[in-house]
Amino acid sequence: MLPTIFYIGLSVLLFVIGVCGVLLRRSTLMVFMSIELMLNSANLALVTFANQRQSIDAQIMVFFVITIAAAEVAVGLALLVMIFMRKKTTNIDTMTTLKG
Amino acid sequence: MTQISWLIALIPAFPLAGFLLNVFLVRGERANGTVASLSIVAAFITTVVAVINLAGMAEESRFIAITLWEWLAVGRVTVSFGLWFDPLTAVMALLITGVGALIHIYSITYMHGDSRPGRYFAYMNLFVFAMLILVMSDNLFLLFLGWEGVGLCSFLLIGHWFDRKNVAPGIVPSEAATKAFVANRVGDAGLLLAMMAIVSHFGTLSFFGSDGLSGFVSRLTDASFTTISLGAFGNVGLVSGIAFLIILGVVGKSAQLPLFVWLPDAMAGPTPVSALIHAATMVTAGVYLIVRTHAVFDLAPDASGWVVIIGATTALIGATAAITQFDIKRVLAYSTISQLGFMIAAAGMGAYTAAIFHLLTHGLFKALLFLGSGAIIHGMHDIQDMRRMGGLRKHMPVIFLVYIVGALALSGIFPLAGFWSKDEIIAHAWYGAQNINVTVILLLSSLLTAFYMGRQVALTFAGEVRDKDAHPHEDLGSMKWPLYILAVASVLGGLINLPGVHWLNDWLNPVLHQEAELFTLSMGIFAAVTVLLATGSGYLGYRIYSGPIGARITPGDEDPAHYYLGDIWKGFEMGWGLDYVYQRIFVKPYRTLSTFLHDVFDQQAIDGILVEGSAGMVGRFSQAVARIQNGNVRTYALVFLIGVVVLVGYVVIGA
Repeated sequence: MLPTIFYIGLSVLLFVIGVCGVLLRRSTLMVFMSIELMLNSANLALVTFANQRQSIDAQIMVFFVITIAAAEVAVGLALLVMIFMRKKTTNIDTMTTLKG
Repeated sequence: MTQISWLIALIPAFPLAGFLLNVFLVRGERANGTVASLSIVAAFITTVVAVINLAGMAEESRFIAITLWEWLAVGRVTVSFGLWFDPLTAVMALLITGVGALIHIYSITYMHGDSRPGRYFAYMNLFVFAMLILVMSDNLFLLFLGWEGVGLCSFLLIGHWFDRKNVAPGIVPSEAATKAFVANRVGDAGLLLAMMAIVSHFGTLSFFGSDGLSGFVSRLTDASFTTISLGAFGNVGLVSGIAFLIILGVVGKSAQLPLFVWLPDAMAGPTPVSALIHAATMVTAGVYLIVRTHAVFDLAPDASGWVVIIGATTALIGATAAITQFDIKRVLAYSTISQLGFMIAAAGMGAYTAAIFHLLTHGLFKALLFLGSGAIIHGMHDIQDMRRMGGLRKHMPVIFLVYIVGALALSGIFPLAGFWSKDEIIAHAWYGAQNINVTVILLLSSLLTAFYMGRQVALTFAGEVRDKDAHPHEDLGSMKWPLYILAVASVLGGLINLPGVHWLNDWLNPVLHQEAELFTLSMGIFAAVTVLLATGSGYLGYRIYSGPIGARITPGDEDPAHYYLGDIWKGFEMGWGLDYVYQRIFVKPYRTLSTFLHDVFDQQAIDGILVEGSAGMVGRFSQAVARIQNGNVRTYALVFLIGVVVLVGYVVIGA
């Protein structure tokens, strides 16, 4: 068993990659995938701590996160398809209708 | 006893029911008029029955009192919704419901084709209700309800044609209505103060109390030496103070100097309204109030003196103004002011019976004259200017006949109603009060009365029609019988108080305690002289204006007398310039102040700074904030991230 710090390090790495993806990528699909990456990095951290503390609570939390992520993907991808059908592009910078 | 009490409560209940029915249920011109007229006729029949019952009672306790419910109880002062029916109330109620019923019936034809008949008849009924409450209340507070009620109805009915911008001669109905309301309000303030003085000193507003002895009227003598402190202005006797405040109310409601200016303009309303409100009933409320509270004036000779001065001066001013008018209704309006002056002067001299006598006869023949002039206006298709009339005798023979009766009665020609009542007042000024100035003023006014009636009859009926485009016709419909009945009443009205017979005097004796004056030969000669003078003056007026001078008058002309009298005539025509003075002293400064306040405070401060300023500030702030909302999702995400970092950092470092 590797020490916990390695798992956490990987989790942080994945999270930062996800954040960078959200902030820097123009393709909405890639942004979406980056969000999934962040969710999974959080899952990894939860599982790691659960393993360390020999507790089952955090693992239950992970299942919740996975379920919700699945639901989110379903809705999000549907939205994405609709956006693409309208704009013929998935460039996130073209979606500025909320401009005040 | 109990069923009689119940009966008098019915008298005001009928008009109220008519009002409510016309407001909420009855629709359609025909139905409105019928309901309104029937309710007043029912009230009249009830009044007659009540009067017959009253006449059968013992003279010492000849009154019917009924307390419907306790209205207010504030501290030790209680005000009941109580009705009081004594001989004085009886004659007033008979006049109101009798003449009122005739005018309602007349209105059915007169208001035919009007756009708002429901409104009209409802307000007319409400008016009669308010007037009945005024004369039937057993306390000042309820009287004030009626007092304000008639003022309100007057406002509503003068402004009945509020959508017309100009009724001849150049009066705007909505402005005339406001003017009447404001002028009345000035007087009402006086009456209100009188009520406060009475409450604070006597603790009750009831005239007589339920037993006829416990009201403030019977306790006035105890207070004859009480004074009210006016601070820097010294002290004034309580009773005189109350009397002066009541006079202020009377002056407003009865259109006396200096508040009569609203009455001529009130002619902007429909003619039956002028007949009912501005001749027969509402304006007589002031005379009634003085007579009802005559005990106050008996104890305040200084106030009574002022009443005489006000009355006599108003009689003269009204008469001089009436001779110069060309609008057929304005002549009658100024004439009403003048005749009210007679009544007020009589009341001030202590001749209360004569005042009420003249009130009754004047109510009859002035209603006749107004209804007659209404029939003329109806037949001339809304022409009111006498310069466009003339020669109507051929076209309107029936109206001519009844109008002549009314004119003779008003001029005080023997043996019509006006002669007996007016002569009684002038005779009282000469024999009773022995005041030569008042006698001369009243006599002069009476001569002018005959003159302007002669002038009016000549201008209206004699010669040829001046306006060639007019198509006069006589189509009376339901207006016919009220005119006939009032004409007969104007002839016979004097019978109720003939010298030597004096039924009215005996009838009012339980209330006013005035013995009829003995009829002497010198009084007869005096009356004969006045009647001869009046006849001569009336004939002169008729002769001048029916002759070649009158024939030359064309629409838009000045009166021929203007050529000789110049500005004096002009001054008469303007009602001695009182309107002008008010315009200058009150209306113009008020308008200027309002314009100033509107421009500076309303538009700049309230609109500019408070309303639009605060709205603008919020708007500008929002615009600044809205710039952050650029709609770029990645910017939002970055801000979100920074927020999370800051929060987590705060929690981690703070912990």
